[in-house]
Amino acid sequence: MPSWIGPWFDYTINGIVVGNIYALLAVGLALIYGVSHLINFAHGSIYMVGAYIGWLSITRLGTPLPLTLLVIVIGCGLLGVLVERVALRPLRDAPRIAPLLSTIGVGLVLDQAVQLVFTPDPRGVPSQVSDWRLAIGGGTIGALDILIGAIGLASALLLYLFLRFTKLGWAVRATALDRDAAQQCGVDVNLVNSTVFAIAAALGGVSGLLVGMYYNNIDPNMGYHAGLKGIVAQMIGGMGNVPGAIAGSLILGLIESYGIAALGTSYRNLFAFVVMILILILKPNGIFARGRSLPPEPLTGTFIAPSAPVRLPWPVVSAAIAVAAALPLVVHNGYLLQTLGISWLYGVLAISLTLVAGTAGQISLGHAGLLAIGAYGSALLAMRSGLPVPVSVPLAGLITAGLGTLLLYPSFRLRGHYVTIATLGVGEIVTLVILNWDSLTQGPIGLSAIPPLSAFGAKAISGVWIYEIALVVLLLVAGLQHRLLTSHLGRTMRAMRDDDVAARSYGVVLDRYKALAFGMAGLSAGVAGGVLAHVYSYINHETFTSQVSLLALTMVILGGLGNIAGAVLGSVLLVGLPEVFRFAAEYRMLIYGLALLLLIRFRPQGLLGTQ
Amino acid sequence: MTANHQTFLPRRTFLTAGAATLTVLAVPSRLRAQSGEPVLIGVCGPLTGQYAQYGAQWKKGFDLALDEINAGGGINGRPLKYVFEDSQADPRQTVAIARKFVADDKIMVEVGDFSSAASMAASPIYQAAGMVQFGFTNSHPNFTQGGDFIWSNAVNQADEMPLLADFLKELDLKQIAVLYLNSDWGRTAKDILVEAIKKRGCEAVAAEGYLADEKDFRSAIVRIRDAKPDGIALVSYYPDGAQITRQIKNAGLTQTIVAGGSVYSPKFLELGSEAVNGVLTTVPFFPDDPRPEVQKFVQSFAAKFGGQPDAYNGRAYDTFILLATVMRQFGVTRQAIKDGLGKISGVPSVVFGTVKFDPDTRRVANPITSRIKVENGKWVAWKKS
Repeated sequence: MPSWIGPWFDYTINGIVVGNIYALLAVGLALIYGVSHLINFAHGSIYMVGAYIGWLSITRLGTPLPLTLLVIVIGCGLLGVLVERVALRPLRDAPRIAPLLSTIGVGLVLDQAVQLVFTPDPRGVPSQVSDWRLAIGGGTIGALDILIGAIGLASALLLYLFLRFTKLGWAVRATALDRDAAQQCGVDVNLVNSTVFAIAAALGGVSGLLVGMYYNNIDPNMGYHAGLKGIVAQMIGGMGNVPGAIAGSLILGLIESYGIAALGTSYRNLFAFVVMILILILKPNGIFARGRSLPPEPLTGTFIAPSAPVRLPWPVVSAAIAVAAALPLVVHNGYLLQTLGISWLYGVLAISLTLVAGTAGQISLGHAGLLAIGAYGSALLAMRSGLPVPVSVPLAGLITAGLGTLLLYPSFRLRGHYVTIATLGVGEIVTLVILNWDSLTQGPIGLSAIPPLSAFGAKAISGVWIYEIALVVLLLVAGLQHRLLTSHLGRTMRAMRDDDVAARSYGVVLDRYKALAFGMAGLSAGVAGGVLAHVYSYINHETFTSQVSLLALTMVILGGLGNIAGAVLGSVLLVGLPEVFRFAAEYRMLIYGLALLLLIRFRPQGLLGTQ
Repeated sequence: MTANHQTFLPRRTFLTAGAATLTVLAVPSRLRAQSGEPVLIGVCGPLTGQYAQYGAQWKKGFDLALDEINAGGGINGRPLKYVFEDSQADPRQTVAIARKFVADDKIMVEVGDFSSAASMAASPIYQAAGMVQFGFTNSHPNFTQGGDFIWSNAVNQADEMPLLADFLKELDLKQIAVLYLNSDWGRTAKDILVEAIKKRGCEAVAAEGYLADEKDFRSAIVRIRDAKPDGIALVSYYPDGAQITRQIKNAGLTQTIVAGGSVYSPKFLELGSEAVNGVLTTVPFFPDDPRPEVQKFVQSFAAKFGGQPDAYNGRAYDTFILLATVMRQFGVTRQAIKDGLGKISGVPSVVFGTVKFDPDTRRVANPITSRIKVENGKWVAWKKS
């Protein structure tokens, strides 16, 4: 073998080994997506719960591996049924976005509950598989690698046989095609959904234990990133396509491995997400689909159900604004003002997102990327070019509008969940570029000593100033957007959201209006990011993570999609609630998760309704 | 123990009957020797979220230090307490917590946060309010430049990394491959380490940065292998350090592994199992360290929590002992603490031996280090063979 092949052979083997691990999660996600068209964000958490059940069973009961796996299958299967029954079934007729949010809430609750019971410390899992290893090329693979691969393949095969040859399997497929029709033919749709969730959760739990054993490490936060990788993998293989999910996982593993080989370890995820975006553009149904016709799945109109918005009369709005503006005169509590000030700035972010997600119907999970571009833009302009802050912030808004629209342009032709995943990828790409583009952003070291906000030449560090500046920015953005939404532009965007085919047949050029929506959203998100950078005075790649995107989307959905007042309300609640629950210390995020679940359960259209 | 310390109590602390009664009700019975209003330290750190495990380690160190401080008379008779606010190491929350702390005139000094992104966002608020922000894990080179109220006793990478390079040189390792966590901390440490390696006439043949959420290092290890190093240096925390070591061994590599002191934890042994045998590191303290302050710390830790302390327990403990000493000597006001930090010297410390700050950089120089290695699943002192 020539010497240059050696390392590439090793990278290939490594890629397959890692892909093997991703596959375990991707299969479960694909199954749930295939039947209920739902990206299950709680899947990573169930995987984590499975790992802990396994750990308990091994260390406390001393069960051998087959029995441990059985315990996990039963435990997680029941958990899956419970999640479906409690968090998803009641939302059957709610807008399609509500269950998605509900799974996020379930994930939060599970993660926090496990953390409270088992402490956040990572734990080692005693391996129950022989440590026999086989030398391949310059590396080795172990018995556990083979077991993981075998379980991945076997579960896919069993699923295939189940779906193909059993009566319940037929019912599952019928439900996947058309729930209402299946129900009319006598299929017990609820039973089908329970079964699917039980199977997927059992599979997820088993993979949690196997991965925990593989790395000899489990911790309560292990699910989030694993779940994200599973989603990317099944996207590559085609959403809802079980064999595709396995192939997609292997491909993802290989791409990451080759990416590391070519550029270095910290480029790993960058490669993964760039490839995902490319596949979304070129083959949105996954690489195994024929042609690139869009799936019959999420029509935007059914994705966001219309509801009657709560009309806020002008006197109420004006009074609220007056109270907000006058608050610092009465209240001298710096903590309250700071919290509200941050709420106003996140309100700007939520208003920006509600335009693309609510009004234009493009549910974005990458909005933190826009915030980051604005923050870095304004900070760098102020620090490197010496521009005064009042100039650098709006300029950063313009840069974000341009750059953001360009980055998100590829997602314009997508719909429904596909937009969500594409934007998630773009958000991650922005963070990873910031991390790796050292010469501009100073990489992980970040930007420190960013000049503070200033107004009329005076530095504004005090809480009152930050509060008032944030409020002014919020009112400007809200006013501008209100004007936009009441014009023909707002009407056109809503038409596009409700039925894009009809809108197109009326001569609406979709791309232009989407670009306009993303441009406007980029402007306001960029301004919010710029102001935040000057408030924080230090930013790095961790300041605006995908968690921030998730938070922003939660704000928007909570307040009511497309609803400006709702976005502000959502922001005040979600920035404020964790602060209100502060007395509960470690229980705080658990309470927050439960509150979120209850809100989605009883008001899925958002507090103020979709506009 | 209670009886012995009763004599130390100044009478003036029994100010009003009401205050005294309240305190007696609030503090555990064995501490009733003290009275007066408690002195509060505001701690801002992660109790939930992805860094929650470190906040939990901090708490153990703090609680241990408080037991000792309050058993020894508290702060001139007043009990020392802390308020732990969960920030999830998120800048959005640290700024709010900062406003809360500075507005609460019972809180004398702030400790934390865990990550630099979270701490440094709050620095302007503490600086403007004139309250010391004491970031005991913030080794970011610019952290203390936030102002003269921003202090840190985090081990300065400029001190620690050259010692690691000395160790590598003494082990006769010439071609070093560095694997580092690509965060502000890991990156700074890596830069200093590579520089120090070169200065000692050796070569850094590879430097691979990995992301915080990474679990699989196989491909990174192929890159390391192909750089043909004779030694591997890790700049990692204990979970990722243990993971990398396991995977290096599984890949069949046999080079000596020398890690930065941040891997020091009993958890490193648990998570790495047999693979971590033979890993070398330099640490400020380890259980068999004969220094009396270390023995006291290790033993009281084992008595209270069971098991051995790790680096974060030690730093948290040290920080409270230091702040209590400053308050005892220089007074209990925000300004006095800031002034006291600049003047204090000779405070016994698990991490530094004794602590003295450089008033210009507001950091502590010259940490003590012991060279240790893992042998049969235990940390033991390393001896040159």
